Amino acid sequence: MAGATHVLPRAWPRPATWRRRGFRRALTFYLLISPWLIGFVLLGALPLAGAFAMSLTNYDGLNLDYIRFVGIDNYTRALGDTEAQHALGRTLLLMSAVVPVALIVQLGLALLVNQPIRGSNLFRTIFYLPSVIPVVAGAWVWKIFVDPTGGLLNAMIGTVAPDANIRWLIEYPTVVLALFTIWGAAGGGMVIFLAGLQGIPAEYREAAMIDGASRFQVNRYITLPLLTPVIFFNLVMGLIGGLQILVQPMLLTPGVLAMNPGVIPPLDNYLYVVHAYTEIFVKQLFGYGAALLWILFAVVLGLTLLLFKTSRRWVFYGVEP
Amino acid sequence: MSVAVARQRRASVQETGLRYGPVVLAAVVFALPLFWVLVTSLKKQSEYNSSPVVIVPPEPQWVNYQLAVTLADFWRFAGNSLVLSGAYALIVVFVSALVGYGFARHRAPGRNQLFILVLALLIVPTFVQFVPQFVLFARLGLTNTYWPWILWALGGSPFAIFLFRQFFASFPRELDDAAEVDGAGPLRIFFQIYLPNAGPAIAATGIFMFLWPWGDYLYPSLLLHQENTTLAVRMASAYSDPHGNPWQTVTMAGVVLYVLPLILLFAFAQRFIIRGIVTTGIKG
Repeated sequence: MAGATHVLPRAWPRPATWRRRGFRRALTFYLLISPWLIGFVLLGALPLAGAFAMSLTNYDGLNLDYIRFVGIDNYTRALGDTEAQHALGRTLLLMSAVVPVALIVQLGLALLVNQPIRGSNLFRTIFYLPSVIPVVAGAWVWKIFVDPTGGLLNAMIGTVAPDANIRWLIEYPTVVLALFTIWGAAGGGMVIFLAGLQGIPAEYREAAMIDGASRFQVNRYITLPLLTPVIFFNLVMGLIGGLQILVQPMLLTPGVLAMNPGVIPPLDNYLYVVHAYTEIFVKQLFGYGAALLWILFAVVLGLTLLLFKTSRRWVFYGVEP
Repeated sequence: MSVAVARQRRASVQETGLRYGPVVLAAVVFALPLFWVLVTSLKKQSEYNSSPVVIVPPEPQWVNYQLAVTLADFWRFAGNSLVLSGAYALIVVFVSALVGYGFARHRAPGRNQLFILVLALLIVPTFVQFVPQFVLFARLGLTNTYWPWILWALGGSPFAIFLFRQFFASFPRELDDAAEVDGAGPLRIFFQIYLPNAGPAIAATGIFMFLWPWGDYLYPSLLLHQENTTLAVRMASAYSDPHGNPWQTVTMAGVVLYVLPLILLFAFAQRFIIRGIVTTGIKG
């Protein structure tokens, strides 16, 4: 047994040299990770504690001298805030459409480019490109694509329905936001699915083929169950990221070029973090905004735990080979 | 016999169609918005506004690119982005590699709990952490400087730490043992054995870590002023006519110039990224 030192029972009187060696090892470890540890304390833990403290006050960015402790007032106010309720509803609605569709698109693309086809590298690059494109550029891409004046989408629709001059960003802002999000998330998820697909031993699929399974059956009964851990991973990451969407709806606001304070997206795209951003950086309600964000954290945590709970029923962690 | 050959050929044509049809269709759908950016960047503004829509401009307006550079003071803001993203990526990759090496190779009480903490922090909404940081940076007088990014970089990135930890965990331990027998300390082992052999992981994380500040809109818009901000913020509103209406054709030329380096970088390093993700795996 290599490394037996650490499996000895505690009560065993360890020779002093071992103890010193263990201490030195621990010191080495903590020194090596110290940048992260210091960063975590100074830029993670303390600010988080500060954010929590802030959420219990009426802090507005300037009134440090006469700041007042208001207890859970901000939280009770948030629960009765109809704008916050609307924003949370829109966010959950958007996610319930975007997350499943994005997963299907990501998995579909991974299956497509995992085939032995010519130019598969080119295809992978095309599908991954939107993930490389920054959010400002992506917002411009979609603004121009759906523009009623010079956009391609209406031009294409016009060939079958010439009178349908749809003002997408005003009439269907959430549809554009959803397309933008799915388009941007496709490549990253595809790569992870691809890694998962390449981790499935070829023999499993070949054996099923020899037994006469169709391509659909192989995908449905061999590949899909073995991919459930990857599906779960992408599902959780997609949900966590999606609940925090902020910049996209702001930049898609019609007639707006930059995310200046006071920009308010159409009501349909008024998402939860947009509301928190407005309360904090426009109305300067830091304390109240912090409470809104802690509620978001509770929602994210709750949904993540719920997913982990259901995962026992459908995620298949294969036995290690 | 010839009937059989013909049938076989027809079957293989069908097979090819089944194999390539969907992937080509998907590629067209994904590339269409980008194609539209490219053609729009070469139109005259009058062509953009005309109805019916001009698909391919008869005389490509390369002058739009020249205008995009001069009107937005493009190189100055590109320089800001390059400095900010380059410094951030360099520091954060180095720090994350060191921390990842610590987690992969050194035992200590509390190690596993700390590693879980690294990952658990990924589910804390970034804005929850940012708001108090913003107050902190403002009080320390660090807004309108690049210091916030440097401080973030010095703490490492959970994503990069995770990637390096997985990558280094696959290294044969005998290397360390041999080096240790020769009297090398942990830092020397890191610099002489681990870092030089981490090429794919460095390339993959380096690109992701460079992409983040280059593409991020939110933090520079909140932390920096109009003069020292990044290209991302500049690209949102740099091009409008005197009435404040966006000048779409020139904007698209600017967007192409803004995105092009990223596409080239990615095309160049694509295999590293995919290999990096495949070898490190996410099953952990």
